[in-house]
Amino acid sequence: MATHEHHKVRRAGRWFDVRGRKLGMWAFALNRIAAIGLVVYLYLHLVVLSTLSRGPGSWDAFVSLARQPYFLLLDVILLAGILIHGLNGLRVTLMGFDVGVKKQKALFSAFMLVAVVALSAAALKIFGG
Amino acid sequence: MTLLDVTLQIFRYKPGEQPHYDTFTVQVDDTAHVIDAIDKAWAEHDHTLIFRRACHHSSCGSCGLRINGAEKLPCITRFSEVWDGHSPLRLDPLRNFPVVSDLVVDVSGFFQRMSASNMSITRDAESTLPLSVEDLDAVVQPKEVELPDNLSRFNRFENCIECGICMSACPTMAVDNKFMGPAGLAAIYRARQKTGDPREVAHLLALADGEHGVWRCHSAFECTEACPQAVDPAGKIMALRREITENRIKKARR
Amino acid sequence: MENQLIQETMENPFAQEPKASSTWYWQAFTGVALLLLLGLHFIANHFIATGGIRDFADVVSYLRNPIILVLEVLFLVVVATHAMLGVRAIVLDFGISDHAEKRLSQVLTLIGILTVAYGLWLTWAIIH
Repeated sequence: MATHEHHKVRRAGRWFDVRGRKLGMWAFALNRIAAIGLVVYLYLHLVVLSTLSRGPGSWDAFVSLARQPYFLLLDVILLAGILIHGLNGLRVTLMGFDVGVKKQKALFSAFMLVAVVALSAAALKIFGG
Repeated sequence: MTLLDVTLQIFRYKPGEQPHYDTFTVQVDDTAHVIDAIDKAWAEHDHTLIFRRACHHSSCGSCGLRINGAEKLPCITRFSEVWDGHSPLRLDPLRNFPVVSDLVVDVSGFFQRMSASNMSITRDAESTLPLSVEDLDAVVQPKEVELPDNLSRFNRFENCIECGICMSACPTMAVDNKFMGPAGLAAIYRARQKTGDPREVAHLLALADGEHGVWRCHSAFECTEACPQAVDPAGKIMALRREITENRIKKARR
Repeated sequence: MENQLIQETMENPFAQEPKASSTWYWQAFTGVALLLLLGLHFIANHFIATGGIRDFADVVSYLRNPIILVLEVLFLVVVATHAMLGVRAIVLDFGISDHAEKRLSQVLTLIGILTVAYGLWLTWAIIH
């Protein structure tokens, strides 16, 4: 049997194709993108932390870099990823135990609202003080 | 009665050829369904167009396809629901099935999954038929018929017409050939609800409890959204998870 | 006829009972635990710390606190577990062979252990 779209990697692209899809699909796509970003970040973070083993000089140099505005912006993006993945993960956990299944779309909307509010508050704190 | 001039952009594929889209313009009544336009495209323009259709009233599940990318049964989809009045209407085969030709997909893998739960599907109508000769009046003057063994709670899934739309909408089915899929898992749920035999229940739950059973679902709920018969496969998957989890806890407590 | 049916059932891979899977539970629990542990880690290192990030001396005194040490190590173990389980879930979605699935679990377990080991070494190096 022939198929016009059979390659697994190309089909994986459909994970993230949210065109014409509903909220639940958005939740899945965002969750997975955030997850991949967070795994990359985890290892970046662990590598950066190795500076600490080289004493105060190298670490404190990194600290002044970390206080730059563009770096803080990256922190806000990181926080967005954490909130999206964490809150949607909570939704997925609830669904998996058959809790709130009928309200899954409302739950996603509510959680994303919380994420936006928390992110805004954090961004204010990060850039403000 | 108004006549509509509809342009269809239909996915075409013959083995050995490159896939492409062909455009057909047909005239249909404004009360027509999308399948009627496809019929006309075949009849008036191209007899090599391959598509499935039978009952024309969402009972057989044959005609499932995508209209402008979204899974639908064209036999019950009116133009007013999907057409803006002027743009071509794009028709594609279902996702996640191998394409045989044009709008027809190979459903053998689908029926393999459905047969795993070894369950015969009965339609809503069959469960409300008269139960005896004396009840024949019910056919002429329909009345509420009491279903034996509290069967009414099974009717929700008996809505399943095995159209495969949920499998097309599912993002996991897009990449995982081993996944049981929303249709297969919902069938397991239905079979489990039907049986009282504890061994059969254990077997059915075990079928669902694998890495490529309920645990591969990522709560996108696209299956439930796309299902034309309100089967709610995602809800069934979560219900199966709950029962599997409860059983594990009971087993651990012993 | 009956034999044919039995034959078909035996040949149907979806009719064979698979191995029961518990990994989703671990992913859910570590995920929920992270909501707490990551929250604490974030607050302690970025919201309590002056200037939003600890300088070297601050980091050393922070990690020398035994309660903090336990929490941070716990955080590391839980986050590494959740990350490895997550990567496994993504790869499993591709419907790889049974053999490849086993290999995958082995490789990810190793990476997870190495990650935690690295973290433990680094923590020890900082404290001393």
